[in-house]
Amino acid sequence: MSNEFLEFRGVSKRFGPIQAVDGVSLGIKKGEFFSLLGPSGCGKTTMLRLAAGFEAPDDGRVFLDSRDITGLPPDKRKVNTIFQSYALFPHLTVRDNIGFGLTIARRPRADIRAEVDRMLELIRMTDQAGKKPDQLSGGQKQRVAVARALVNKPDVLLLDEPLAALDLKLRQKMLVELDLIHDEVGITFLYVTHDQAEAMSLSDRIAVMSGGRIEQIGAPAEIYESPRTSFVAAFIGDTNFLEGRVGECLDRDYCRLDIAGLPGILCFNDKVLQPGQPIYLSIRPEKVHISHDRPEENAHRNVLAGAVEDVIYLGANTKYWVRAGGYRIQVLRQHDRYFLDEKPLRWKDPCWVWWHADDGFMLDHFRKADEGLLAVPPQSVGEPINGK
Amino acid sequence: MKRRTEWLTSLPTLVWLSLFVVIPTLLVFAIAFRPATPYGGVGSGWTLETVRSLATPSYLAIAWRTLWMSLLTTALCLVLALPAGYTIARAAARWRNRLLMLVIIPFWTSFLVRVFAWKSLLHPEGPVKRALEALGLVGPGATLLYHPATVVLVMVYTFLPFTILPIYAAAEKFDFRLVEAARDLGARPFQSFRKVFLPGIRRGVVTAVLVVFIPALGSYIIPDLVGGPSGEMLGNKIAQRVFSDRNLPHASALSAVLVLAVLAPLIGVLALQKKGRKSDIVIGEAP
Amino acid sequence: MRRSRFPIVVTALVLGFLYLPILILVANSFNPARFSSRWEGFSLVWYARLFESPEIWQAVRTTLIIAVSATAVSVVLGTTAAYALHRFGASRLQRVHYTLIYQPLVVPEILMGISLLMAFVAAGVRLGLLTIFLAHVTFCVSYVAMTVLGRLQDFDFSVIEAARDLGATPWQSTRRVLLPMLMPGIVAGALLAFTLSVDDFVITFFVAGPGSTTLPLRIYSMIKYGAPPMINALSTLLLTVTLTAVLLSQRLARRSQ
Repeated sequence: MSNEFLEFRGVSKRFGPIQAVDGVSLGIKKGEFFSLLGPSGCGKTTMLRLAAGFEAPDDGRVFLDSRDITGLPPDKRKVNTIFQSYALFPHLTVRDNIGFGLTIARRPRADIRAEVDRMLELIRMTDQAGKKPDQLSGGQKQRVAVARALVNKPDVLLLDEPLAALDLKLRQKMLVELDLIHDEVGITFLYVTHDQAEAMSLSDRIAVMSGGRIEQIGAPAEIYESPRTSFVAAFIGDTNFLEGRVGECLDRDYCRLDIAGLPGILCFNDKVLQPGQPIYLSIRPEKVHISHDRPEENAHRNVLAGAVEDVIYLGANTKYWVRAGGYRIQVLRQHDRYFLDEKPLRWKDPCWVWWHADDGFMLDHFRKADEGLLAVPPQSVGEPINGK
Repeated sequence: MKRRTEWLTSLPTLVWLSLFVVIPTLLVFAIAFRPATPYGGVGSGWTLETVRSLATPSYLAIAWRTLWMSLLTTALCLVLALPAGYTIARAAARWRNRLLMLVIIPFWTSFLVRVFAWKSLLHPEGPVKRALEALGLVGPGATLLYHPATVVLVMVYTFLPFTILPIYAAAEKFDFRLVEAARDLGARPFQSFRKVFLPGIRRGVVTAVLVVFIPALGSYIIPDLVGGPSGEMLGNKIAQRVFSDRNLPHASALSAVLVLAVLAPLIGVLALQKKGRKSDIVIGEAP
Repeated sequence: MRRSRFPIVVTALVLGFLYLPILILVANSFNPARFSSRWEGFSLVWYARLFESPEIWQAVRTTLIIAVSATAVSVVLGTTAAYALHRFGASRLQRVHYTLIYQPLVVPEILMGISLLMAFVAAGVRLGLLTIFLAHVTFCVSYVAMTVLGRLQDFDFSVIEAARDLGATPWQSTRRVLLPMLMPGIVAGALLAFTLSVDDFVITFFVAGPGSTTLPLRIYSMIKYGAPPMINALSTLLLTVTLTAVLLSQRLARRSQ
């Protein structure tokens, strides 16, 4: 545990009847860009506030650089926060906002001036140093908030959904800037968001949270391609779920599964499976192929016959929902050639879907409720989307 | 730590207000049950005499007059304030601020002076009387002053700005597209006003009513200066008992009646609140 | 959509109604006639008489002393109270606190006046400047508290957290962030308290002693016992002063934005 720079050990926090954080242990490495990802109410913001010192844990301890900071108030921690609303001081100029922490620390005036100028250059706002926050745009406010935190050279920078208030284009721009800042400054970042695109593009590692607990920790690719729970599989991107039992294991690498209503499905055996064991299989839509005609025979392909139930054309790709053997399979097809298919697949067309046995993954933990997270078009007017 | 800060910041006002609001009010109720000394002091011992003497016809007449005059004033203020608040809320931003300033400026003049202005306006040799005489509406011997009607007029004048402001505040938050929707569905202007706008600013109306009715009940100066004997209200009766008659227990008894009269509408509003609706008072949100 | 003209007409009438007495008052202050019914030409005689009157000046002095001191004390008390009400709003203590603060706002002045009089008499306190001061603070506190509370409700407390996060102690964050940001609301509350104190009659009437006459009390006796038109001049002056003060504060408020 020694290269864990910021560490939570068994922290819990409850607000009235709600258990916001439930016995969470987490270690963040020095210099890492670490994200806490999850829906609202999952406890990620509470974790951030526990790190900043705005909340004290009911149980457990928080360590920074091997020192126990659990009892320290926020002004005594070498940690700085970027708030979702930026929380710039409206009565101070940009310059005074950025220099606030240094002024409190009673640094000499010349030092403060020099540091603030350096920061202004880093965020490219040297010309706006004399403006007040209400004269700034959203993106500018965000940069000032970042500068105000970084100028104090904190051990860890905490970011609370900093891009949530920005529109799409600006968000994309700021994502790149945050990435650059992290590379330049090299400080440990703890980033909280509900937006998976942000988390995946920025982070070295992600912790997916739900209901006050951690579902999985790993690098973005690991989280995406090898989710361990149905929550992670459904919350990040889209997926298909199949439920059944292990039939027989053919060789060391592949097993046949018994899934009601479908012919023998093959999956890659990366966990040691026993025949008769219940199993939950998940395949991402982009790994599934669809066509009018039956594909060529291949020992490791899972092929199903079905009919197109829904089509959503998105320009660069098309989403299909196909009814096959009692299941709705979502397929994402990329249009990598202009009109490659002379006969487009339409509603109610019979079709074939298939995927390679290697592309399916098994979940350690399955919750039926997580199916509600998947994007599914409603069957009729008035039916709630996502089963809610 | 949080609790200590809470007590520290609340204690000064809690102590001050208990000393200067709660205790004095209790004192008033207590003194109502004590006898008066001939020199204007308060005697010892307890008696129900003072309270019983409130049941005389003259007191009841004054209480009744106070009540209907206050209700009439409230009604008139509402009738005038609703269109005014509506107009200001719908005005363009530039006009809105100017109109609000125009409404508030009289508030910045001395209240006594404004009542005095009416007193001289309605004076037998004043401009209003002479204008009405010239129009043949009143005879040369008529007096416009010292009438219950005069008191109501001046009360409406005094409380009108206080009524306009809460109505404006509520109207400002009102989504006027609802009125457009009503018109679109066939409602005439007054219908949409009655069925959509009024219910939408319900909170402002309640505040406006309270802000007129309660001070009107306790009015003292206005009836004192322009009311005369036929326009007497509870307020000047109380003052008379204190300063002319030097009978403090009597004054206290009358004040106690006034307190109860004032509590009634407040409790009514509170009861409506408890029925699950949000706070109806716009002056300051309850925490 | 054709909007009804009716509300605009009523509004215009209402405004006319509100200003009629005031305009006549101002006009009459320049009318040297004893009875305002006849216009005898433009004159400043009543203003001159006003300036020569020692009782008026005495009353102005008393009024200002009380207004300034009552405003100062009530601003401190009221701001602290507003902070407590907002920060700890849900607790039972604050609900009691709020009810108490709310009282002076809804109770008719005559009730406050008589209850305070009874209390002072019972406690054996001599009626005078002190009792007026205490009474004024009592009702001003509520107005200041409500004004500042209104500002606090739009207040984004994450700036306080930000200050703490950047190393400020609780006291430093109050001094450097909370108070400066709250200042417009505090000033508004102070102006309100000042105006209420200067203009108060009923409560002052009940708790004033023989030597302590404020301006409203002086005006009242002038009205009640013979009404020289000096009052018109005095009121016009007061109106001008308050108008200028309000316009100035508006100009200042706009500049700081």
